[in-house]
Amino acid sequence: MNLLFLPILFPLLSGALLIVLPKRARATLAVISAGLNLGANLLIFQRTSQGEVLVMQMANWPAPWGISLVADALTGILLALSGIIGLLTVLFSLSSLEQPLRWGQSAQLNQAREHLGFHALLQFLLMGVHMSFLTGDLFNLFVAFEVMLIASYGLILLGNESLQLRQGFKYVVINLVASAIFVTAAGLSYGLFGTLNMADMAQKIAQHGPDPRITLIALLLCLVFTAKSAVFPLGFWLPNSYPTPTSAASAFFAALLTKVGAYTLIRTLTLIFPTETSIRPIILTLTALTMLVGALGAIARHRWRYALAFANVASVGYLVMGAMLGTQDGYAATIYYLMNSVLVIFSLFLIAALAEQLAGEDYHAEGHLKFYPWLGVAFFISALALAGIPPTSGFIGKYALITALFQNPSFLNTAVAIAAVISGFLLLYASMKIWRNFFWGESDAVHQVKLAGGMTGITALSVLLVIALTLGSSYAYQNASLAARQISNNEAYIQSVLQKEP
Amino acid sequence: MELLLPALAALLVGTGVYLILARALIRVILGLSMIAYGANLVIFLSGGMARNDPPLLNLDGPFVDPLPQALILTAIVIGFGTTALLLVLSIRAYQATGTDEVQSLIERDNPETITSYADPEHPSVSPEVATGDDA
Repeated sequence: MNLLFLPILFPLLSGALLIVLPKRARATLAVISAGLNLGANLLIFQRTSQGEVLVMQMANWPAPWGISLVADALTGILLALSGIIGLLTVLFSLSSLEQPLRWGQSAQLNQAREHLGFHALLQFLLMGVHMSFLTGDLFNLFVAFEVMLIASYGLILLGNESLQLRQGFKYVVINLVASAIFVTAAGLSYGLFGTLNMADMAQKIAQHGPDPRITLIALLLCLVFTAKSAVFPLGFWLPNSYPTPTSAASAFFAALLTKVGAYTLIRTLTLIFPTETSIRPIILTLTALTMLVGALGAIARHRWRYALAFANVASVGYLVMGAMLGTQDGYAATIYYLMNSVLVIFSLFLIAALAEQLAGEDYHAEGHLKFYPWLGVAFFISALALAGIPPTSGFIGKYALITALFQNPSFLNTAVAIAAVISGFLLLYASMKIWRNFFWGESDAVHQVKLAGGMTGITALSVLLVIALTLGSSYAYQNASLAARQISNNEAYIQSVLQKEP
Repeated sequence: MELLLPALAALLVGTGVYLILARALIRVILGLSMIAYGANLVIFLSGGMARNDPPLLNLDGPFVDPLPQALILTAIVIGFGTTALLLVLSIRAYQATGTDEVQSLIERDNPETITSYADPEHPSVSPEVATGDDA
């Protein structure tokens, strides 16, 4: 089953080569590698979407002694998404890194970033993301997180100016503390179960019965993953650090890195700790606060990417909320909303990059609709999808989530549903604010400026993907339901991993 | 022994947390290293505590589990890389701001009012409109 290793192999090799190649070859290799990666990911998705669970034992060590790479339907969906986002990011960066910066920092910052190894770092980031989606071993998950985080440290710090240093330092410190907690939890779980293979741990926990030590390990792991996905009290590192790197990297971070945290949360709570139901109400309450804080922050900030970073926090709040419900419909709604969130946030960040080219970071610059109507259309569609207005995919996702909430109409669930709806309206207000201040109105100071063709093309493509998700909702929701069915009962996963002949 | 080593790990992590909240950048980095040491010690303890037993599997006599020691090696190497990165970062921060304090890394001026747009050739919006007001 060597197919499973390809999403890790391609970025690893190309990342290593990209450090040493000259500039022209760098661009070509990055695109080729991202394209091959997308192909491998789509192959895996196509096989897993038919219900198959793919397993590969690294170096042919049998489970549970070796490290397993596992791809079930949820992993397949996420790999497909990350393949698409990876390729689009690479293509977008080819033209966005040529643009001189027009505000705040030095004009040649983007060229410096490309020269200093942006493409290599992006490939390593992709490798870390793919490895954390595919792995079936807790310590390998830690290593994948570290690869991903160190690549993201590099991307944030690239360029070495004052803003990068300030935000980079805080980002690195908080993530190092979270990593230390993760490695402690991994060590404790090895001491308790004698194994780090997720399937084996799941089996041993099922046989062991309830034990406060198991709850402790589950809590530690949830602490790390909620910090990674920027849930309310632990998410304050995100809104200032995500707008710091170049716009292509910013879009990739917002689209995928928080979703890695949400995915690992789902995976550990459904596979390893399905009996730990006491954790769920705590995190559910926190996600209600996350959605509200994210939406309020999006209204408060008036620079493009800073407002969108808060909107990203709100969006991930919806995801984690759905994951905490514990019902199969809840998981299906979560996975569908995850697809929507990745594509919509990515498009919004790309639109923000284009808008920053036009008028700087602050979006208080009226009258752009007259000269850039298509940018206005793109923003309109993406903003509606973010806020959850019919008929976009955002609405379908939020409707499914709130329906899943009301399947069990307890006080907590009702309160969370109210918070979710209020947050949607607040996000709509934030989008209206941007629309009113940037696109609407008339101003004599605006006139036509030529935007880079590559950037515009990729932005258009990503908005078309959002529309495609809306039109293809039934296909997407079928896949989400299949994934939800698989993760609701962890027996199939455990058997596939432990019975696999190397 | 069973109480002493976990107490030591707790002491290390506590010291590390205290240091992270300090005013000087170098103390923050030292604090992070302490927390990493504490975490590594916890992994080490999970392999079973024994005296004079080697971590080799093929012996006749008693041995300790070698896997946690391999895990610690991985964690140490990762920690070493990130500590190196942080140290370079703090040197660069010292060069940029002239001081060793964490306060220098916090934005003093209100970042919301910085919007200078400056392409003298072809601005799409004139600078007065771009800087706008705080609405």
